[in-house]
Parts: sequence; structure tokens; C-alpha cells
Amino acid sequence: MSHEVEILLVEDSAEDAELTIRALRRNNLANEIHVSTDGVEALDFLFCRGVHADRTFTHPPRLVLLDLKLPKVDGLEVLRAIRADERTKAIPVVVLTLSKQHKDLVAGYNLGVSAYVQKPVDFEQFSEAVRQIGMFWMLINQPPPSSAFTASRTRGA
Amino acid sequence: MTSSSKAIAACALLMVVCIGALSYWSEVRNDRDRGWVTRTLHVVEKLQALRIDITQCETGQRGYMLTGQDRYLELYRAGVDQVRQDMKELPDLTADNPREREAIKQLDPLIASRLAELNEGILVRKESGLLAGVEAVTRANNGERWMGQIAAQIGEMRDTEAGLLSSRLETAAASTRKIKVVIALGNTLAILILLIKYFVIQREIGKRNLAEASLKLSNEQLVRRTAELSETNIELESFAYSVAHDLRAPLRHIAGYSGVVVQDYGPRLDAEGLRFLGKITHSAKQMGRLVDDLLSLSQIGRQELSFEDTPLDVPLSQAMEDVAPEWAGRKVEWQVGELFRAECDSGLLKQVFVNLLSNAVKYTRKQEHAVIEVGQTRQNGERVVFVRDNGVGFEMQHAGKLFGVFQRLHKALDFEGTGVGLATVQRIIRRHGGRIWAEAELGRGATFFFTLSSPENKPREPAEVPLKEKKEKEEEMHVARS
Repeated sequence: MSHEVEILLVEDSAEDAELTIRALRRNNLANEIHVSTDGVEALDFLFCRGVHADRTFTHPPRLVLLDLKLPKVDGLEVLRAIRADERTKAIPVVVLTLSKQHKDLVAGYNLGVSAYVQKPVDFEQFSEAVRQIGMFWMLINQPPPSSAFTASRTRGA
Repeated sequence: MTSSSKAIAACALLMVVCIGALSYWSEVRNDRDRGWVTRTLHVVEKLQALRIDITQCETGQRGYMLTGQDRYLELYRAGVDQVRQDMKELPDLTADNPREREAIKQLDPLIASRLAELNEGILVRKESGLLAGVEAVTRANNGERWMGQIAAQIGEMRDTEAGLLSSRLETAAASTRKIKVVIALGNTLAILILLIKYFVIQREIGKRNLAEASLKLSNEQLVRRTAELSETNIELESFAYSVAHDLRAPLRHIAGYSGVVVQDYGPRLDAEGLRFLGKITHSAKQMGRLVDDLLSLSQIGRQELSFEDTPLDVPLSQAMEDVAPEWAGRKVEWQVGELFRAECDSGLLKQVFVNLLSNAVKYTRKQEHAVIEVGQTRQNGERVVFVRDNGVGFEMQHAGKLFGVFQRLHKALDFEGTGVGLATVQRIIRRHGGRIWAEAELGRGATFFFTLSSPENKPREPAEVPLKEKKEKEEEMHVARS
């Protein structure tokens, strides 16, 4: 259990990833954080296939931090895939992106995003935002129990 | 139609009408002349008949005188009846010709006398027999004399008539000829005029078509150019937005990593090292502000304005609240007058005030007793808002640069700033159809004036491209970059 990934960070910018992880770590919000730098790898991770075929569905991440601008498959497509499958549908997904564009907000919420956060420009504010996100989703929020991912046990309707 | 064109048309019309009238009149004349001729012919014919009838009387009477046979008597009597008939008819035929009537009147007694004579002769024959009769005839040689006179008279009348007839025919022909010539000429002239008119019209049409064609061409060019400009405009603004947007992430990284270094390695650094890192962070923050200002500058062009009739005091007081932290702890005297109402976008006007007030606060920082005045005035009949401060001011000769992007009239050392604020303000004011300008004196202070247009004078917005389109463009540019 201590090696289970707690947070999946889907972010193509290495700098943003590093700064985000630093903020999370410094506040002791998570130990195991996996970074996916593109949409395909993120989906492989979540769906236990490809390079991550050794993973199982029994331990989904407690939180997915999702950037929208990703190479190969973009953030909204990843979100759609997550929400479309019983085995992953219940995972909390927080969009963390530069974009404040109206259409992205609409699409995100229509696809069932759990929260939508625009990355602050200012570094201090950014760190603070990450801290608050981490605080809420890792400490305050109750994660979905494994029975929420029913299809991993029985064939659902 | 030009006036000369109208004149030509009028002429042609007149000509046609004249010809019509002339033709009609000519017809009437012709009818009358024909009438004359017919009558004259009748008269001549009647005179001829008269002569024959008289001759018949003579013949009948002579025959009877010679033979004493009744059939000659009957011939004579028939002749007399005819003559009487003729003499009755003649006056009617010449009813309108007094000269002829005179002639007939002269003829009448002659004929009457001759008939009387003939009758007498017959009576003598009847009573006294052939020899007496012959004697009577030869004795009265008046017969010839009468006959001669009658014949002469009739002949004269006939001649007169014939003369009249020929002269009338002559005049009729002449006038008909004249009229024909006039009609022909008139028609030719009318046709010529119409031809001229036709050519004139053709030329006018030609000119007009040319003008239309060139107008259409200009229009097309204009439309194309406007489309091009509009296109360029969108691209520029999308570019500006995209650039500003994309610059933010690296900025965060610069400031962020500097912060990280300070956090993790701070203790190991000396003062200089820390100072350098401070500079990095400071520069990144400055750039962040610049990017934000640029972003909002480019936003102004893209936003849809919502104009409402607002008293300007509202955005002013909101701005003053926003600016309050900037002069906290200082002594600033505010003189705020009442402002007029105007059709404006309240949010944007607030931005204008925030900017101007912020500047006023900033540039009076070195004053012991800062005075900032906001009010309204009238210049050249226009209502003007002004913001005046007694701060450091600037030299008027540089005033032209004030509103340029990135233009600053003070060293960054003395007064921080991005140099974008006033450019943004000017844009906003311009979009309201107004003007902004400044007056200042170095060391004494500066005053910024602006007007907003009245609703009637509000210029039409340049072809507003819908926001959606602009945002889509941005998307393209953003994606293209990453």
C-alpha cells in the first residue's frame, strides 16, 4: 500500500510538474506521485495496459491532476475516457490548466470533471493553489471506496 | 436626363405635334378644295346640259316649224322643261359664288326671251301653217342674236368656271406640294432630332455604366481591403493574446525556481547570491505585470462593450476603492467633484480611472502634500473629465509619447511601471468615441483630460469580429506554438 500511487499528475511541462510535486511534498500531501507526460501514457496507466500492463485496477489513484494541453491525446479526451469506463469513472479528476477558456470549462464540466483550476501565473499563488487542492482532495475529501469501481468485480449493466 | 436632353426631347415632341397639325390642316384644305372642284365640275356640267337642252328646244321647234309633226313639238316641250329644270338647279350649284349668280341672273332673261320667241314661232306655225311659220322664223333674226348671247354667256360662264377650276387645282396642287415638303422636312428633322437624342442617351448610358463599373470595382476593392484589414486585425490581436498567454508559464517557472533555490539553498548563499536571485524574481514579476497589462490591452480590442447610461461617479468611486491601498499611510488630499452621466461601459471606465488615479498617486509620491483633483469641465462645448495631480509632472515636449505602448517618461528607477497603462486607457477612451490628452509642467504636476462621445456622435465600431472567431484564432495560434 505504501507503494500505491496516490496522485496521477498528467502534465507535459517538466517544470510545472516539478513545481507542483514540490508544493505537494513540502506540505506532506502525497508521497507516491506518478507523472504522465502525455495523454496516451496517462490512459495506459489508468487502464493497466501498454507500458503499465503490470498494474491492476484494484488500486486506482486517489486523485488525477490533469493538464488540458497534452501531446498525442489531449486532456479532455483523457477525461472522457476516464468517465466512460466503470472501472475508472469514480476517480476524482481535477483539471489544472493554463486555460480559462469558456469552451474548455463547458467541455470539462459536461464531461464530469470534479474541479477546474486555472494555474495562477504567480509562483507563490500557484504553490498555494496546489497546496489547497492537495489538502482538500487528499486529506479532507473522502476517496471513493473500491466498491465504487464495481466493474472490476462483476459485470455491470 | 440632363436639361439639354429634355430640350431635345421637347423639340422632337413639338415637331411631331406640328406635323400632325399640319397634316390635319392639309387634309381639311384638300377636302375643301376637292369640294370646290367638284362643284365647279357640276356647274360646268350643268351649263353644258343647259346648252344641249336649249339646243334641243331649238331643234324641236325648228323641226315642228318644218314638219308640223307632234314629235318635234314634244321634243321641244321636253327641252323647255329641261331648260327650266337646269335654270332652277344652277343657282343652287353656285349658291356660294356671287359672281356666278350674277351671270346666271343675266342669263335668265336671255333664255326666257329666247324661249318666248320659240314659243311664239310654234304658235304661228300651229295657227298659220308652214309658210307663215318659216316667215316668222326668218323674219325674227333675233334667234341668232339670242342664241349668240346665250351661248356667249354660257361660254363665258364655262370659261370662268374652267379658269377657276384650273386655278383652284393649281393652288390646291401647289399647297399640297408645299405641305408635303413641309411634312417631309418636318419628319426628317424629327427623325434627326430623335437620332441625336438616341445618341445622346447612348452616351449618357455609356458614361453611367462606366461610372457604375468603376464604383463596383472600388466597392469590391474596399470590401476586400476591409476584409484583409479585419483579418490582419484579428490575427494581430490573437497573436498578442497568445503571446501574452504563453509567456506566463515560463515566467512562473523563473520566479518559481528562483524561489525554490532560495528556499533550499538560501542558507548556503551569501548576500550577493541572494540579491542576484532577488533580481531574477523581481524581473520575472515585472515581466508578469507587463504580460498582464499587454493581455488586458489586447483584450480591450476584443471585448464586446456594453454601453449604458451611467453617472461617471460610479466607476470613479469603485476605482478609488481599488486604488486606496496604493496611498495607504500617506497624506493625500482628494478633491472630487460631481461627474456627468454618459453612455459608457462602466467596467472599462473604472479601468480608466484606476489607471489615471494610480498614476496620480504614484507620481505624487515625492510630494509632502499631495493633491489629486478629479472633476468635470467644458472645453469647446464638450464635456471633459480631468484628473489633476501636483506631482512630478513631465515635459510637454514629450507629451506625444505618453500614450504609446511601452513608452515611459520617467526612469524605472524613480517610478515603476510598465508603460502600457496609458495605452490601454487611450484604447478604451477611443472605443467610446472620445479623446484623451494631457497637460503638464515638470515639477508642478500633470492633468489628464478625456471626453466621451455623445450617443449621436458615437462612431460606428470597426467591423466587429465576433468574439468566438477571435478566440478560435487564438486556439490555432496557441496550438501551433505548443
